[in-house]
Amino acid sequence: MTNKKFGALLLLLVLFTFGAKAQLTTSVKINEVLVVNEDNFVDDYGKRHPWIELYNNSAGTVDLRGCFLTNDKNNPRKYMIPKGDVLTKIPPYQHTLFWADDQPTRGTFHVNFTLDPNKDNYIALYDADGTTLIDEVVVPAGQKADISYGLDMDGKGKWMVLSKVTPSTNNVTLDSNEKVENFQRNDSWGIGMTITAMAVVFLGLIVLYLVFKQIGKAAIKASQRNAQKAAEASGTKMSANAGQESGEIFAAISMALYELSDDNHDIENTVLTIRKVQRSYSPWSSKIYSLRQTPVVKK
Amino acid sequence: MLASVLLQAAAGANESFMQFLAENIQVFLSYTGFANATPGHFIMLLVGLLFIFLAIKYEFEPMLLIPIGFGILIGNIPFKDAGLQLGIYEEGSVLNILYQGVKQGWYPPLIFLGIGAMTDFSALISNPKLMLVGAAAQFGIFGAYIIALQMGFDPSQAGAIGIIGGADGPTAIFLSSKLAPNLMGAIAVSAYSYMALVPIIQPPFMRLLTTQKERLIRMKPPRVVSQTEKIMFPIVGLLLTAFLVPSGLPLLGMLFFGNLCKESGVTRRLAETARGPLIDVITMLLGVTVGASTQATQFLTINSIKIFGLGALSFVIATCAGVLFVKFFNLFLKEGNKINPLIGNSGVSAVPDAARISQNVGLEYDPSNYLLMHAMGPNVAGVIGSAVAAGILLGFLG
Repeated sequence: MTNKKFGALLLLLVLFTFGAKAQLTTSVKINEVLVVNEDNFVDDYGKRHPWIELYNNSAGTVDLRGCFLTNDKNNPRKYMIPKGDVLTKIPPYQHTLFWADDQPTRGTFHVNFTLDPNKDNYIALYDADGTTLIDEVVVPAGQKADISYGLDMDGKGKWMVLSKVTPSTNNVTLDSNEKVENFQRNDSWGIGMTITAMAVVFLGLIVLYLVFKQIGKAAIKASQRNAQKAAEASGTKMSANAGQESGEIFAAISMALYELSDDNHDIENTVLTIRKVQRSYSPWSSKIYSLRQTPVVKK
Repeated sequence: MLASVLLQAAAGANESFMQFLAENIQVFLSYTGFANATPGHFIMLLVGLLFIFLAIKYEFEPMLLIPIGFGILIGNIPFKDAGLQLGIYEEGSVLNILYQGVKQGWYPPLIFLGIGAMTDFSALISNPKLMLVGAAAQFGIFGAYIIALQMGFDPSQAGAIGIIGGADGPTAIFLSSKLAPNLMGAIAVSAYSYMALVPIIQPPFMRLLTTQKERLIRMKPPRVVSQTEKIMFPIVGLLLTAFLVPSGLPLLGMLFFGNLCKESGVTRRLAETARGPLIDVITMLLGVTVGASTQATQFLTINSIKIFGLGALSFVIATCAGVLFVKFFNLFLKEGNKINPLIGNSGVSAVPDAARISQNVGLEYDPSNYLLMHAMGPNVAGVIGSAVAAGILLGFLG
């Protein structure tokens, strides 16, 4: 039975781990593509080629090693992003650029295909298994030189011809904090914020109040049922406020018991406790494992 | 002839050696605190000494004021900026590394873990309507927010300043590190200073806003709360509040987790660590680094003075809002169920100081009316309320 439980737990753990990995790689998006690079970004060799920008649309670092980039629907494993290169890790909400120059010998970020401006270019990113599609896009034919095609919002939004080319940076950059400016413009006195926020604070605590009012009622009823049973068993009458006794009553009883025990056993070293002494076993709390074995002298 | 040449050479060598020594001493002196001190440094050193004095002489929140006060001394020792990685703002320095817990906002949730593990929510569970008092006192936050806006702070800064009114140091640090990192030192010191000064700030307003009759109201003793209810509280509390305000998750999550460790009865070791060694260590680091972050060059600005003024005002507003809300609430409660408005002040989350003030002021008017347990209800509700308010501000302005 224990083995079964352990096995189930292990299975869940494995599934969770795979799920977590999948969730991370699927957050990568193809973000921007430049098909005709005449007077734009140059690579480390000083050459201009088409490029594909990927964007990590998550709050965690994603490692692209082992994933596949392709321009062929029938061949998802066309270019494997090499393993062992630390630069394949994309930090949260950041970008990485691949050069479509058909020269993979130039390094990790040079793929083994190129983009053709005269036809639709299919580009896809596959997970390390080579079958799970992470993201794909078809860049329409006839792209103009040095004008990129990308998402209007990084990692989301619609594909469109972008007004400015932004290799390895955000497609959209904000010159201001829109939220704050909105408050400055529409709520210069802060009344709106006060009303909204206080309403939410009150709402949260009112809901908590209502829930615990009901839980309290249920607890009092349960205590009354127990008191009723105890009264029936002992043949006494149940007290009117059974289940709602104040802590002061119990404190007074405890103090009286303690004093009684103190008076009667003033010489003995007794301690009155209401602490539960029975403990459930756990290897973490077991002293057995922290004890040193007694050395045995071999004769 | 040879002797005189040797003597001249020795004299020359001696002279250059003496010059070398003098230059060295001059360089050394230029590195000392005396050579680099400014009036600002001395002002801040006096502030640090004042904090230490208040903590030792009057026992005003000594756990906070001693580390912060000493931190102010550490942070305001003048030195020459020579890339020696000494100051708290120099990347890679020891103080800077310790300061990351404040800057990145991970000390406050750990403090909340400890607070959760030491808080008994029984008073609140037995009389859940007291939660509303904790909500009302959050007006202090937004009152200060409104005034800060009028004083020219932008909404993010105003939100960070307003949170001082929550009377919750960790929450103030957490929020200001996200919304206005440049004001964090002043906000943190202001929040902790006023938390230490609640025995001075609150009682006059409590007396001013209540009548003799109201101060004598006796409340029903709280009923005994079952362990099941105590276990359910952190779970239900987390689910309800965090679903409503997910941005408050770091604080609320740790607060309720700590409380579950305490109430579950099976993780006593975890609870004891959280409310003992862990919170002690974090309190020390947080206090010292917050204090050290008040370097005169960064701290002594007009904005800091404004923040101190707004902080005091926010505490006053929070106290008044709590007391007045109880008076208003009493209009709808039956005789016998009424709440003593003297516990309204404890809606601010300075636990347990604010509750202790309710008790002390209550005892002044009726020596047998013990309000402490009742005041603990709104007091701990204030912790939840201020964390929720911080989450809202972060959500709107972050």
